[in-house]
Amino acid sequence: MEDASAMAAWVTPGREQTAAGEEGFRQLYEATSRPLWGYLHHASGRPDVADDLLQETFCNFLLHKTPPMDEAQTRSYLFRIATNLLHNRSRSRDDAAREEPADCGTETDEDARLDVREAMRHLKPRERELLWLAYVEGMSHAEIAAATGLRILLYRARQKAGAFLRPQRVKR
Amino acid sequence: MKRMGCEHEMDAVRALQTGKWTADLRQHVADCQDCSQALQLAEALRAAARQADEFCQPPDPHWIFERSRRRSREIAMRRMTRLLTAVRIVAACYVVGAIGWLLRGFAALQYREVAASLPGASSRLALIGAMVAAIFVLGGLWPILRKHADRTSGR
Repeated sequence: MEDASAMAAWVTPGREQTAAGEEGFRQLYEATSRPLWGYLHHASGRPDVADDLLQETFCNFLLHKTPPMDEAQTRSYLFRIATNLLHNRSRSRDDAAREEPADCGTETDEDARLDVREAMRHLKPRERELLWLAYVEGMSHAEIAAATGLRILLYRARQKAGAFLRPQRVKR
Repeated sequence: MKRMGCEHEMDAVRALQTGKWTADLRQHVADCQDCSQALQLAEALRAAARQADEFCQPPDPHWIFERSRRRSREIAMRRMTRLLTAVRIVAACYVVGAIGWLLRGFAALQYREVAASLPGASSRLALIGAMVAAIFVLGGLWPILRKHADRTSGR
């Protein structure tokens, strides 16, 4: 990440809300807001919800006093806040589990895109979160557990999604 | 989190991200259903991430920074208001108690008897102190109660 040093330098306990603090925050925001939005959009299935929760995630991040963290920990912490907000939201709504996932697609193969969309539709929101963190953010099992507090297995989520995919579709 | 499935799964996903494939890993993925499935999902999800990245228009960070500042002030204000409310309740109880004590026993008239029944000058001082404190608390409470009454009546 190109803004890694600025991010790491800025993340301090208390996060002084000064002009210098704002500049550091801007760099952190630019480095992490898009991946976070993608995650929130994929997990919630709605861009308006992703917008709201993105703002809420960064607001909560600024408000909470945390011990000094390095770049990876900060990123993981942001994903944890976002995941908690997603879970709070789904707890407060009964139809959350029925929400459609955001569109998934490979740019080259329409059938594969539909397969994956179908697979995602059959996953629980938490399983979608897990797959996204592992396969898009490249988080390890330990990092995912730290970021989400989820105890469900990546293996199980993948198996469940895999049941809807046609085999040997991957081209490299 | 417990780990199951193929141990090379995350290596394959990382290779997809970085483009650094080894011949062994490529061969393994071709033969391993778990890794193949993981890569299929990873490719689709990463394509979705790219689409989301194009679609995403995050708000100005200055706005979020200001919003968190405002909320921080609101939280501090709420905390102070809670504290003031508690102090107001304690003060009101104290005033009610003091007034009751004054009225019930004609404390002003009986002060000499009460003071005489207590041993030592320090007890007398304590009684005088309590009465002075009650006067000060009442004096301090008065403007707060007036302000509260004004607010509730909408003035």
